[in-house]
Formats: sequence, structure tokens, C-alpha cells
Amino acid sequence: MGQVLALAISAVLLAGFYASMAYGLGLIYGVLRVVNLAHGGMIMAAAYLSWVLFTRFSIDPYLAIPVVMVVFFFVGVAMYKGLVRHLPRGAAGGVQSLLLLFGVWLVIRNIAYLLFTGDDQAVRTSYSTASVPIFGNSYSLNRVLVFVISLVAVSVLQLWLSRTYTGKAVRAVTENSDSSTLVGIDVERLYALTFGVGTALAGLAGVLASTLFAFNPSFGSGELLKSFVIIVLGGLGSVVGIGIGALVLSFAEVFAIYAVPSYLTAAVGFVLLVVVLVVRPSGLFGSKVLR
Amino acid sequence: MTTTAQSRRVRLPAWLSMKALILFVVAFGLLYVAPFALALGDYLHNIVGLTFMFMAAGLAWNWLGGYVGQISFGHAAMFGVGGFVAARLAISFGLPFWATWMIGGIIAGLYALLWGHPTLRLRGPYFSIATIGVGEATRLVATYWTDFTGGSSGLSLPIGDGPTKFALYWYGLYLLAAAVILSYWLRKSRIGLALLAIKEDVEAASDVGVNPSFYQDLVLFLSGTVVGVCGGFYASYQAFIDPLDMFSFERSISFVLIGVIGGIGTILGPAMGAIVFVVLQEFLLASYPQLYLGLYGVLLIVVILFEPLGLSGLLMRLARRFGRKPSPSAASGGLSPAASPNASVSDPALTPDPVDPPDPPDPPVGAVGAVGAVGAGGPDVKRGPA
Amino acid sequence: MQVAALTAVSAMVVAGCAPSQSSSDTSKDAGTVPDKIVIGSTLPLTGAESKTGGRYKQGYELAFDEINKAGGLEVNGKKVKVELKLLDDTSDQAKAVNLAQRLITSDKVNAFLGTYSTSLVEAQSTVAEQNKIPYVNGGGAATSIYTKGYKWIFGTLAPVENLATNEMEWIDEQQKAGKLPKPAKVAIVWENTSHGKDFRKGIQEFAKKTGSYQVVVDESFALDGTDFSAVLNKVEAAKADLFMVDAHLPDFITMHRQYLSSGMCNKIETYGARGTEADAKKALGQKGVDYILSAVWWNKQLGDKGLNKKFVDSFTGKYGKAPEWYQAVSYEAARSLFTAITNAKSVDKTKVRDALSAIDIDSILPGGKLSFPADKGGQASYPFVVQQNLPDGSSPIVYPADVANGRGTAPNPGCKG
Repeated sequence: MGQVLALAISAVLLAGFYASMAYGLGLIYGVLRVVNLAHGGMIMAAAYLSWVLFTRFSIDPYLAIPVVMVVFFFVGVAMYKGLVRHLPRGAAGGVQSLLLLFGVWLVIRNIAYLLFTGDDQAVRTSYSTASVPIFGNSYSLNRVLVFVISLVAVSVLQLWLSRTYTGKAVRAVTENSDSSTLVGIDVERLYALTFGVGTALAGLAGVLASTLFAFNPSFGSGELLKSFVIIVLGGLGSVVGIGIGALVLSFAEVFAIYAVPSYLTAAVGFVLLVVVLVVRPSGLFGSKVLR
Repeated sequence: MTTTAQSRRVRLPAWLSMKALILFVVAFGLLYVAPFALALGDYLHNIVGLTFMFMAAGLAWNWLGGYVGQISFGHAAMFGVGGFVAARLAISFGLPFWATWMIGGIIAGLYALLWGHPTLRLRGPYFSIATIGVGEATRLVATYWTDFTGGSSGLSLPIGDGPTKFALYWYGLYLLAAAVILSYWLRKSRIGLALLAIKEDVEAASDVGVNPSFYQDLVLFLSGTVVGVCGGFYASYQAFIDPLDMFSFERSISFVLIGVIGGIGTILGPAMGAIVFVVLQEFLLASYPQLYLGLYGVLLIVVILFEPLGLSGLLMRLARRFGRKPSPSAASGGLSPAASPNASVSDPALTPDPVDPPDPPDPPVGAVGAVGAVGAGGPDVKRGPA
Repeated sequence: MQVAALTAVSAMVVAGCAPSQSSSDTSKDAGTVPDKIVIGSTLPLTGAESKTGGRYKQGYELAFDEINKAGGLEVNGKKVKVELKLLDDTSDQAKAVNLAQRLITSDKVNAFLGTYSTSLVEAQSTVAEQNKIPYVNGGGAATSIYTKGYKWIFGTLAPVENLATNEMEWIDEQQKAGKLPKPAKVAIVWENTSHGKDFRKGIQEFAKKTGSYQVVVDESFALDGTDFSAVLNKVEAAKADLFMVDAHLPDFITMHRQYLSSGMCNKIETYGARGTEADAKKALGQKGVDYILSAVWWNKQLGDKGLNKKFVDSFTGKYGKAPEWYQAVSYEAARSLFTAITNAKSVDKTKVRDALSAIDIDSILPGGKLSFPADKGGQASYPFVVQQNLPDGSSPIVYPADVANGRGTAPNPGCKG
């Protein structure tokens, strides 16, 4: 039983990281109906930025988070204004945005190869292998910190959407962009803002990833696909839904070892994705609207 | 139905125009004898043979991606299944290569149906995301299934068995010819009209008696089968295949790139895309190999933003610029500009006879009626994600 | 009419009506010694494996430099310059095949030096075999490459099974000396690649052969994992004595970080070839890599006398730093090819191939000799050097005894109780 508990806690901690990956993707899709395939590339780029800040300027990754998020916010806004804005809005843009942003991802990857070569990099702080005891077992300090930060991000995001004017405007635009214009909301500006926030969240995920894993320019595709799984599982109904989706995925992956050989636990997420899409396209919990 | 001029001589099926047939036969003939007439050299000869395969695969991907409008990011799954079935049959049962390709292709097609039938109900990006899941799951399972695929060690075909790389040029040509014929037929026949109707508006299509499920499954099966045969071809060409390479996400992406850059939804665009793909790999990138990812990315961005019909669209524009009005049957043989966008619209859907159309107006990007402009607004108009 | 057309086409296809064989025939080099010998090769110079590709390039170029500095390669009394024609395959299998095709059939190179990484070598070797050209590589270690019955393929990398076997042999010595329990419980956690498979095979066979090891965990994992707690948990629950893993660097880092922070510790810890590289210490810290056992094909600590010292000095002179195993195996691949050409007194491909099959030269590789035994399909076989990381930052060689310069420690003193 102690073993199951230990695994469960591992799964919960992992879900923290997974959720942080998915927020940005979910927000952008929920509001703009754009599938940001460059999301994985953004995570990778943020990991590299965190690494550069750490190795060149000795800035601890967790302290670098605000800096990275601000940088990526502007990157996101630029991407929207420069590229995404030109796509047909709404459903018609769906597949095109997919392909366009995929192209952006390829470009980002290539730039990373040119700047950093394909070598694996890792960020090692003095506490990279430190541990924290929870219920008798030890867990990586980094994973606990990542989890905590992820929770904080959820709360802040939720507060922003429900309490602030811009947040409510974002929700209004999600429900109905035309009537939002009628009540004076500058929809275009909001789209840009949302894309910026979504990209900033990808930036957050990238920094967190840099504290946990080694990475190279190909990093991010696995994270991207898992983010899809999470969004589909949790639906876009709420930011909390994404958290739940992350938990479902992480538990499935970790506990799958009792059912399938450990190599195939990597396939769990993908199988889940297809099954859920086929059975309940609106996700396990959510509706299509960002509440 | 025949035209008066030909009523005494040759009866062509409704979807085939004489001009298209002639162009096809001429092109085929030229390509067939080219290696004898030109001194290509072994290397180029082999590369061209492999290109034929990429062209066929691109065309097959496009039936699903362009004609039906469902972008698949997981076609490597069928490519790999076809390749490994073919290799396994050759190694364990000694079947002749063409049989292994056929069987491999059909099994790949059936596999496509297996995962595709339920997922095709999804629309737009959701389907695409599902295909990513299918592709990756297939790769992982195939790598695990050592008895069948050799696991991460892959499978090696016995040296000396099967066709030489030299002969594969012609088998590639046959494969391409079949894919071209199917592309043309699927587009120009009643099936093509049904597909267009489905792409426009699924509900309306079923209201008028078009069964979306049947047609989508048919196209999916054909697409999967042809891509599976390509996998078999590739196995014969390389003589060694392993799951990581055959089922990789990169490979699925290459089909998307070929289709989109070449001209999604057009009849022969993807064939051009394949040529660009290979030419870029071989020549431009030989000098700057570190740029290949970025180059494809830029091309993709440019295509999506400026020319949704890719190279095909570009050529059509140039043709119009120089005063040539592409007629509907120009869509057939060779690499001339693809189907005039409004040809099928101005012909009422029920009379597939090629009739000289009025000058086609420039298809507005995203226009509902622009049947040919399927890369733009076509796929997702009136359809949101599920 | 349609039916007729269809039958005609299918008849054509079925008749397999494709013209057979090709124009080129490259046997004109029989007998005459050319003015220049061109050796073709591809390596991943850009892309994912560019770092390793660059190192292999260093090894090849050192060998070419040395020969050319001596005036050229001695062929039947004549000294001939050698040239390396190296192309970038970006770690892509299809490219490796196509470029090899080009070099062999268009550029008509005399012989071929292989690329890096098993799957690329395996794919590329078929081209060499089909074109009947000698192919020597230092980049493919999987036995599957050499058990296909190919006659033109030679490899300087010893099988990865030897890696596992040699580590187990050192461990066996410790067990015989009473430092490890008997029988000892072994946990094998391996990446699902041919490298990992061979590693696992080596351990399983050793365990079966000696009977004093019990495999309690045998799990593979997919590359680039994000969380290994499930499999680590299994290892802990099984109370393994030996924790033997085969992994690439990123997975090694992720797994070992989780291993350390969950407080795990085993009497023997190994990650295959990983552990001694600078990147590992950078990512995990010295304490994180203490007492990790590892084994590689060659290590510069072998270079204190004889042929080895010459190699190390020569390399350091040219590149300013010490070589690692990558450069050693590629250097030996090139050198063996040169020796074979000299022995064959010709560039005739068949003669060179026969010379390679018969070769038996002094070598910098462990064991001191290099040959390509036919019973191993042309793959060299020699012991790996087993090293252990010590807290003082050194990683002495602990096995085999004739090259050992340190004593390893078992069980892991870092484990409490």
C-alpha cells in the first residue's frame, strides 16, 4: 500500500508539470479556436532561455520565471499580429492555423539548432537533486516546486478570468465574438492579448521543464502531444478542468505499469487521446466555452 | 455518354476526357523511356525512382487531406504497416515483392479503416490531433512488437531478392501512374462530387442522400492502401527498415508538407510538392543541411498565408496572368495547372460531362463556392470542432 | 475499351516488365594503382547527433593526416595520397543511404567509411553490400548488423553485449570476494533500442551462465521519458542489489535525478556507457555520479604507452585535447582500411575486402589487437574498459585487469545500511 501511495504522489507531482504545459495551449484554443502547434517549440525556447540566463547570468530558473513570461508574452503578441491575425477567423481557420503554426515550430527548431547545436543541455542548480519527504517517501524538490508553482498559476489564471475586466472580456469573446464587439470590446486586441498570455504560459512551462529534464531543440513534441491529451480529457470548460485532465493523464501513465510493460506506458496518453476523442469529443468534463 | 465527335470510335468513361488520357499516356511513355534516352547516371536514376514513390504517397495523402478535407498527421502509421507487412512476408514466406506490396498495402488500408472509421466523425483540428495520437501509438506498439517488426532492430530484406534499385524506377512509375489515375478518377467522378458535397456541409450532403461515412471510409481505405504500398516499395528500396524511421512523426509530417506545399485539394499538386521535397533535399540542402527544417517551415508559412493552393495555385495564377484560361480537362495529365476552380460548380452537380466553362473568376480565398480552393476556407466552413 | 486498357496495364505490371540491370560496371580498377585514393563517408555533422558526428570526423581526419604526412599510403610499392570525401547525413536514414549511393556509384570511391549510430549503419551497409564495396565503420555496434551474412561490412565497435558481460565479470569478481550477496538480485532497465536490447541480452546470458544472479526486474522504456517513478518504484520494491540501466544521456539525467531524490541507492549502479562524461557531472553533480560503474569501448587512460600513447599524443597535438572512444574507434576503422589496402597491394575492392577479413593488427583498442572475425560477421570483439567514478573526481579503469589502474569499490559505500 505504501508503494501505491508513493506512486500516487509521484503522479500528482507530475500532473503539476503537465497542467502547466496545457494551460497555454488550452487558453489559446478556447478563445481563438486556434491550435497552437508552435506550443512545443515555445516550451523548448523558454527552456533554452532559462538555461542561458542560468549559465551566463547565474539567474536561478525559478527567479527567472517572471522575466521569461514577460518576454514570451510579447513574443506571443508579435506572433499573433504578424501571422495568426491573417488567417480566417473561426472554424474556417482551424486547420490552416494548425499548419501555419506548425511551420513556425519548424522554424523555431531550426533557429535553436543553429544557436545551440543539437546537444542536450541541462540546468543544474545546487538543489537539483535535493529531496523533500512526503508521507515517508522522498520526492525531488524540483518536482514539488513545479507543482506548487503550477497551482499558483491555476489560481491566478482563474482569478484573472473571473474577476478582472479583461478576463471577463476574454470570456465574453469566447462565447460570442460578434456580440462582444457590439458591447464595445475590442476583439482583435483581446485575441492578441490572449495569444500573448497563452505563449507566456508556454514560457512558464519551459522554465519549469528546464529544472526537471535535459533538453535539446527537438524537445517539446512529446509535451505538445500530451497537452492535447490533457485538453481533450479535461475539456475547455474551465482552467480547473485542465488540472483534472492533467491528473487523469499522469495517473494513467504512472499506474499503467501494473497493466502493461513499462515501455508501453508511453503509449497510454495517445491511446487515451484517441479513445476520448471518439467517445466524448467535448472532453470528459468540459463544454466548449471557457467558463 | 459520348461526345458526337467520338461516338463512332472510342467510348471513354464519363469522368475521363480525351485530352487527359492523351496527356497521361504521353507523360507515362516519356518517363518510361527516359532512362534509356538520357544518360541519367545510377544515382539520379535511383533518386527519381524514389521520387515517384513520394509523389504517389503525397497524392494518396491528399485524397484524405484535400478531397475530404481531413488533415492527417499520422499517415506514417500506414506507411510503416505496409512496409513491415511487406518485409515480413518477404522474409518469412518468400513471397514475390509485388505480392508483398499489395498485401502490405491492403492491410495498411484496413488498419486505416480500423482507427479512421470512428475518428472521421471528428471535424477539423480534432481529427488531426487524433491522427497524431494514432501515429505515435502505432510507432510505440510496433517498436514493442519485436516478433513482427524486429523491434528497434528492424527488419532486413535478403540482399539479391526482389527488384534492384535500377528496376525500382519503373515500379515506382507504375505506382505513380496508379496514384495519378486514382487521383483523377476520385476527383472527376461522382465520388469526387460526393466528397466535395461532404466537405462543404456534411449535414446537407447526407440530406441529399450522400452517405458521408461510406465515402470517407472509401477514400481513407484507398489512401491508406496506396501509402502502404509505398511503404512496401520503400522497404524494397532501402532493404532495411526499422520502426523508429518508418513510423516517425517526421515522416507523417513529410506527407503533410508535400501535400500542402504542392497544393492541397488539387489533383496533381502533391506530385509537384514531392518533387520540390526531393529536389530541396538533394540539391539545395546538400550545401546547407542545417537549414532544412527552417526552410520547410518558411515554405509552409508562406503557403498558408499567401497561396493556400501551394505550388498548384501559384502555377494557376501564373497561367491566368499570361492569359491562358485553364480548362477543366487541363487538370488531367502532366503537371499543368490543376482543375479550374469553378468548373464543377458551373456544371451542375448532376452532369459530369466536361463542358467548356465560362472564364473562371479568381477564386476568393475562403469562398464557399470556390470548390477548387480547398486549402483555404473549404475544409472547415460551416463545420466547427465537435 | 476500359477493360482492354486495364488488362493491358495490369499485364504489363505483372509481367514485371522493368528493364533489368544497369549501365555501370566499376571493375576497371582491377590491377592498376591510381594516383589518388578516395574514401567515401557520411556522418551526422549537423542535426541531432552532430556532436558525436564531429568527433568521428576528428578520428577519421587524424588517420588521413597521419598517412598523408608520411607521404601517402603504400600500395604495391607506390605511395598514394588518400582523400576523405565526407558528406553530412544529418542523422537521417534515407539520406545516409542516398548519399552512400551517390558516393559509391557517381563519385566512384574506392572504399567506404561508415556513419554513426546503429540504425544508420544498418541501412547504409545494405548499399555497400549491394554495390560490393568494402565498408568499415566505427558507428554501429548492434550484432544485428553483422549477422545478416553480409560479406563486405566490417565494424570496429565491439558488441554491446560485451559491455554488459564485462561489467558483470567485474561484478562477479566482487561477488566471489564476498563483497556482494550470492545470489545477487539484478534489475535491468533498458531503453528500447538495439543498444538497450543487446545490453539486456548480455546480462541475461551472463546470469543464466553463472547461475548466481537472479533477474528480478526486466523493463524497457521509451526514449525521452518524463517520469520514471513507476519503474524505479518497481526496482525498489524488488530490493535489487544491482541496478543496471542502459540509457541515452537525457534519460540518464532524468532517471538518476529521480533515483537520487527518492533516496534510492543500490550496491551496484550502472547506466551502461554513461556516467563518466562531463555532461553527466554537470547535470548531476559529483556526488550524484559517485560510484557509478560504466564501460566504454576505449578510454584515454589506456594511452600511457606504446601505440596508445602515440595515438593520444598525435590527437592532442592536432586538436588540443584528449580523445574519447568515438575518435578511437573511428581512427581504428580508417587505419584498418588503410592497412588492408596496403596488404592487398591494390585498390581492387575484392582484394581489399579479403585483406580486411584476414587482418590482424596491433591496435589501441582494449586487448591490443584488432581483427574482424568471420564467425562474428566482421564485427571486432574485444573487452570493454570498465570504469568507476570515485568521489575524488577520477574514474579509474577497474577491469580488465591488464589495463586496470585503480580498484573499484563494491558495494556502493554511498548507501547507508
